Amino acid sequence: MSKRITLDPITRIEGHLRVDVEVNGGQVSKAWSSAQMWRGIEVILKGRDPQDAWSYAQRFCGVCTTVHAISSIRSVENALNVEVPLNAQYIRNIMIAQHSVQDHIVHFYHLSALDWVDIVSALKADPKKTASIAQSISDWPGNSEKEFKAVQDKLKKFVEGGQLGIFASGYWGHPAMKLPPEVNLLAVAHYLKALDYQRKAAQAVAILGGKNPHIQNLVVGGVATAVNMDNLATLNMERIAYLKELMTETRDFVQKVYYPDLVAIGSFYRDWFRHGAGVTNYLAVPEFAEDTRNTKFALNGGIIYNGDLATFKPINDHQDQALIQGITEGVAHAWYEGADSLHPWDGETKPEYTDFQENGKYSWCKSPRFNGKAMQVGPPAQILASYAAGNPLVKKVVDATNAKLGIGLKEYHSTMGRLVARGLRAHVMADLSLTYLDKLVDNIGKGDTAYANNTEIPSGEYKGVGFHEAPRGTLSHWMVIDKKKIKNYQAVVPSTWNASPRDEHGQPGPYEASLVGNPVAMADQPLEVLRTVHSFDPCIACAVHTIDPAGKEITKVKVL
Amino acid sequence: MKTLIFGAGNLILSDEGFGVHCINYLAERYQFPEEIELYDGGTLGIMVTHKIEEAERVFIVDTVDTAGEPGDIFRYEKDDIMLNRLPVKLSPHQIGIQEMLFISELRGGCPANVSLVGVIPATLDPGNELSPPLCDKLPRVAGLIVDELRGLGYEIREKQQNVLH
Repeated sequence: MSKRITLDPITRIEGHLRVDVEVNGGQVSKAWSSAQMWRGIEVILKGRDPQDAWSYAQRFCGVCTTVHAISSIRSVENALNVEVPLNAQYIRNIMIAQHSVQDHIVHFYHLSALDWVDIVSALKADPKKTASIAQSISDWPGNSEKEFKAVQDKLKKFVEGGQLGIFASGYWGHPAMKLPPEVNLLAVAHYLKALDYQRKAAQAVAILGGKNPHIQNLVVGGVATAVNMDNLATLNMERIAYLKELMTETRDFVQKVYYPDLVAIGSFYRDWFRHGAGVTNYLAVPEFAEDTRNTKFALNGGIIYNGDLATFKPINDHQDQALIQGITEGVAHAWYEGADSLHPWDGETKPEYTDFQENGKYSWCKSPRFNGKAMQVGPPAQILASYAAGNPLVKKVVDATNAKLGIGLKEYHSTMGRLVARGLRAHVMADLSLTYLDKLVDNIGKGDTAYANNTEIPSGEYKGVGFHEAPRGTLSHWMVIDKKKIKNYQAVVPSTWNASPRDEHGQPGPYEASLVGNPVAMADQPLEVLRTVHSFDPCIACAVHTIDPAGKEITKVKVL
Repeated sequence: MKTLIFGAGNLILSDEGFGVHCINYLAERYQFPEEIELYDGGTLGIMVTHKIEEAERVFIVDTVDTAGEPGDIFRYEKDDIMLNRLPVKLSPHQIGIQEMLFISELRGGCPANVSLVGVIPATLDPGNELSPPLCDKLPRVAGLIVDELRGLGYEIREKQQNVLH
């Protein structure tokens, strides 16, 4: 007998996602991913000034503000063929990398760890043993017995006072929780500590961006962060020294806390390298522009089909015509008018809500496809593409991690593989942040103090696309400018690629495909379903409805 | 004492952005002393927890999803939040604020006084303006906060408004 489970909403933080799964014999047989809120924000950009679009665009998403600003400004620069001075590229690169570090720290500890870490079990841990485990995997100075004991005492007080609050509905004691109490305590302590480091990353972004969470320093053709080593009102030596201190501290946290924790947790959940592969076609765009025309990059982009690295086709720059022409968005199963797949420059946002029809329209999310195929985007795509291209930075960390975990590249096509890829990405980003700070100082030292090519919007019609490899994957903003105003605007965001509903050919999106075959030990506590969905870092919050085959709700559980 | 007025919400989903509209309204009309910070927290939730921890007194302005009419004003204190008595709202940053305060408390960093002033939204459709009922309530919510801050001993002056506007 099959059981139907509805999780709505499913993210811990942003927007509304509903996932329906049909469970047969302890595993998922069918899945539907449905975005429950229309965010047709593109519509409000029409008719506005192109140079202002980025400041609206960074409110597209509640979490990834910076990324939409970057993609949006690049779409104007691409349309008008504007060069971006090196200093501006370096400053943008530091903001992109630090934003990623912040985002990944928060995802690992605050948005996904509690799928794997049992807070209540941590109460049974021996803090001394926790300290010795922690010290055996890292020389980070914050791992003392005293530290772990203090966290455990605080946690006890909360549990005894009935103050487990929002955590009260967690799946504590679930049979799929496998960590020993000591490792649970380790993770809970770092869960609390992680907030200090995501803050340092946010501060780094704010030093350059003027403000956090919403940066203020972009202009078409560069940045408005004036660079003058000797002027106190601008980015000067003192600010740069502070930036370096902040970014060094976050790098140490990522490499000496987040990364070893991830490897430790991964080694207790080896079976999760076998679940959750789903769509193994990958798409990533190159990132970290190192020249003024977006043609030279530090990390690689490309396409991989069926999880086979031999099929790797590089995407070398942001002007790649095969990439630009290959992207379409379909609405066959989305709540928009029509059934056509359109290129984003011709894209429409005309809502037509029915209700949840599992064989008809069932999501506010469109179905992006590349050359007609569903693609997975995100850290695994970027890591695998860079690895396939022989990128030395990426190859080094991937090989070292594979040796530690006893895994190969094929294990990256999985729920735990996505978490590992994200941790590796954070590792690389933390280093790159410091690299670009050095390059910035060096370039200014050579006498280059340009930070923007001031650009007027000409009359006439222009089309542009701004690509960005964001924390959740490939992001693109598509803009059509006419008579100095925005005529059309479409954002094809990473979570749309991954949370996509079926397309006109019935091909499921990555969330849907990855859930099929997932184990579910207890239908009223579908922890395993959350693990796989959360592994994508969905950006689109949670109640679980268990529904019997006749569609009658058996139970409803709120999940954070 | 450092007091933080934290405006939460999404500015481009009409009433969702009430908290941020409120911050902007306060900044336009009043002159605040240095110890008071007006903060546009957007929808970041957990990623801006440090702002809460750095303050000694916090007012959060947000929307709430509870029984009543659009524009109805509700107020909750720290205990309501910690014991999970807040009405969960239907917004893109749904769990953010509560989780943020809870983790802060567990870290020992949450200030003793945290108040949440919430209004019931009329619409969450795309748009950068408030609906008429919430637009009407904005001066009242702002006034409530200013009165309370004055009660705490802060000197808050009204800015000269340009009458030609």
